[in-house]
Amino acid sequence: MAARDRYGGVFADLGFTPLQRAIRNACDLSHYEPNLALNLEVADLINSKKGNAPREAAFEIVRLINSRNQNVALLALALLDICVKNCGYPFQLQISTKEFLNELVRRFPERPGLRPSRVQHRILESIEEWRQTICQTSRYKEDLGHIRDMHRLLLYKGYVFPEIRTEDAAVLNPSDNLRSAEEMEEEEREAQSAKLQELIRRGTPADLQEANRLMKIMAGYDNRHKTDYRAKAAEEVAKVQQKAKILEEMLQSQQPGETVAEGDVFEELANALRSAHPKIQRMCEEESDDPEAVHKLLEINDSIHRTIERYKLTKKGDLEAAARIPKGTLGTTTGVSTNANNELSLIDFDPDPPSSNGNAPAAPSGATSLENDLLGLSMDEPAPGGISLPPAAANPAGPSTASSVQEPSPGGSRPNYDILSSLNSSPAPTPSQSSTPVARAQQQQQQTTPTPPPVDPFASLVSASPRNASPFQGGKTAAPSGSSLLDLAPAPQPASKAPEEDEWDFTSSLPESNALPSTNRVTVLASALRIEFVARRSPQQPRQIQVVALFSNAINEPMRELHFQVAVEKAYTLHLRPQSGRDMEPQQVNGVQQEMMMDGVDAGKGNSLRMRFRVSYQVGGKRMEEQGMVPPLGIA
Amino acid sequence: MGGQVSKIMGKIFGTKEMRILMLGLDAAGKTTILYKLKLTNQDVTTIPTVGFNVESVTYKNVKFNVWDVGGQDKIRPLWRHYYSGTQGLIFVVDSSDTARIEEARSELHKIINDREMKDALLLVFANKQDVQGHLSPEEVTSALQLNKLKDKLWYVAPSVATDGTGIFEGLAWLSNNVKTPPQK
Repeated sequence: MAARDRYGGVFADLGFTPLQRAIRNACDLSHYEPNLALNLEVADLINSKKGNAPREAAFEIVRLINSRNQNVALLALALLDICVKNCGYPFQLQISTKEFLNELVRRFPERPGLRPSRVQHRILESIEEWRQTICQTSRYKEDLGHIRDMHRLLLYKGYVFPEIRTEDAAVLNPSDNLRSAEEMEEEEREAQSAKLQELIRRGTPADLQEANRLMKIMAGYDNRHKTDYRAKAAEEVAKVQQKAKILEEMLQSQQPGETVAEGDVFEELANALRSAHPKIQRMCEEESDDPEAVHKLLEINDSIHRTIERYKLTKKGDLEAAARIPKGTLGTTTGVSTNANNELSLIDFDPDPPSSNGNAPAAPSGATSLENDLLGLSMDEPAPGGISLPPAAANPAGPSTASSVQEPSPGGSRPNYDILSSLNSSPAPTPSQSSTPVARAQQQQQQTTPTPPPVDPFASLVSASPRNASPFQGGKTAAPSGSSLLDLAPAPQPASKAPEEDEWDFTSSLPESNALPSTNRVTVLASALRIEFVARRSPQQPRQIQVVALFSNAINEPMRELHFQVAVEKAYTLHLRPQSGRDMEPQQVNGVQQEMMMDGVDAGKGNSLRMRFRVSYQVGGKRMEEQGMVPPLGIA
Repeated sequence: MGGQVSKIMGKIFGTKEMRILMLGLDAAGKTTILYKLKLTNQDVTTIPTVGFNVESVTYKNVKFNVWDVGGQDKIRPLWRHYYSGTQGLIFVVDSSDTARIEEARSELHKIINDREMKDALLLVFANKQDVQGHLSPEEVTSALQLNKLKDKLWYVAPSVATDGTGIFEGLAWLSNNVKTPPQK
């Protein structure tokens, strides 16, 4: 080994590439401590040359780490640290090769000595640091597995790894900053590039096969594995929105007198938002061919800006001025619309279609209110009490659906007549009647993640405005025919089943007992307060639904001041009888009742009736409030 | 260590190993040349290469590791990943495709101006010499502006890849002129 060192010494200045010279220079004995400027110069050189440079540098550095001079070795280790942190994946791929790692620990004795030398200590520290950061958090961590193997091997041999400060190594973790689609694509390309280079260099048959595969992807012949960077960017924007929302909420709960401390969570969030600001502007430029995406991004941008402003003012202690800034962030993130006063308008269905969520089948014109949207679902319904087949059912699209769905299902499960499920092209019987609506209610309360994979990723960012590229659009055309057939008025005479043929328009209507029941019980809320709706159709009033709301106390404390509010769409009228009481004892079941009557609900439409509720009560002197969508009532 | 021993043995007994990179525009005949080298007396039918092929051919005591990378314009940006460690570049030109000879020239100069290719030998196959209206090797030389190159060892060999004419002559030139031992 000594011979090799001497060899390196004698030919030190001969035939070295500029990169090798820069590395030698940075690790020269004349420095007593690492020279950051020179080290960063090496990192820049590697980054600008790319190609084989990361490998060349890694092996040159490890050669110096194994130098007999401890100072040179420590300088080289400092340089290695800089390169790992500044040269990204291409360099990290090199330090995780077997060859490099074996070289790195070449001077380690078979069994650890009493105390590791300074160089050994630093090497162990580096490996531990890599293991805890890039091996876990890198996007390409599966390529860095040998680091973990080496860690395990050393551990097995009895080496003890020093503890590392995670905050020192945190820089190795992927940054949280907002990145645009273009930047992510660029990063991916660089990583692929580095990987291809390494595969070609290794040259084993398996590597070459992988290289060929990777080339096809890089050249664009194989698009199966292509990531949708726009979708990812949209996801990232959603994350930023979420941060804005949290900050907004925190600021709004800020009481006068409380001060915002430095280095607080506030600070962190505000900084994240501030750094996202220019990025969103850049994304606007990149997306300039998609005016709607730009519009949404700008909207988000504005709301973030407002939140930052509020943060600044709050920090100064000027709560009054802060309160004057319109509270925009919540509106754009939650999908619940805010009116001019920025109050969540849950009860009033009047403003723009907030709860349609882009999912409800909008009428083709697109500029209609929710009321019309919902009406658009129903084709011309027969007059109240009509039992004849509606003429509209003679729909060429419908026959097979009608006969298959209306058949009595043996398991006792009923078709779910929920709007969302009827949008799905297959109206299969759904045994659990509450699953869909609950999911929807949640979605509206916290529109954070784009739940259904939309065709256009940016479509999901602001849910309030329906968008043409929405995946539900496709289902929309099918929906009216499907749902109108589902909503056929039940007729007493049993339908005759005929073989399915294309020329025939089959419709059927089966006895009432096989369709939705005329009474049903649904759980509306199941928290400390439990609310159940018992809904039924009264035989005398065919267009009326009677609902009895049953309130139960599920906790061990008494509830006071119960106040229940409910809203329906404008097309229907709602009458409420007074609540039977306002207080409930601990664990009291059905302690309070309230009767409601909905008028104008045609037969068969009972399940598509949409209602919202809000309830407030006091527990131990504390005021609680809950609100949400009422799940479909599950009656005809 | 084992690898070093065999390299020393190779030096003593005269077996050399050479890393060859074969590039050129699409449909120039690279893959045909590669398989004609490998399977000397067989007919070769090829399809456009998406990705690359690599084969080892031993000729006159030199083991050539020939990398043939696809030439379609989508793949050309990936050529640079193959430069590292290359001792000889074979650039294949379709001599009958006069319309794209200028494109070939610019691609060739891009390659040989790369830092990692500065020590590589340059062998140009003026391929498809059997097709009507082809350029002669001299015309190819001037069209590719090879005379402008300084500090570069180059040679233009006429060839007909489909029947194997001229390709081993080209290899012979490479093996006679290789001097630097492979790095690592």
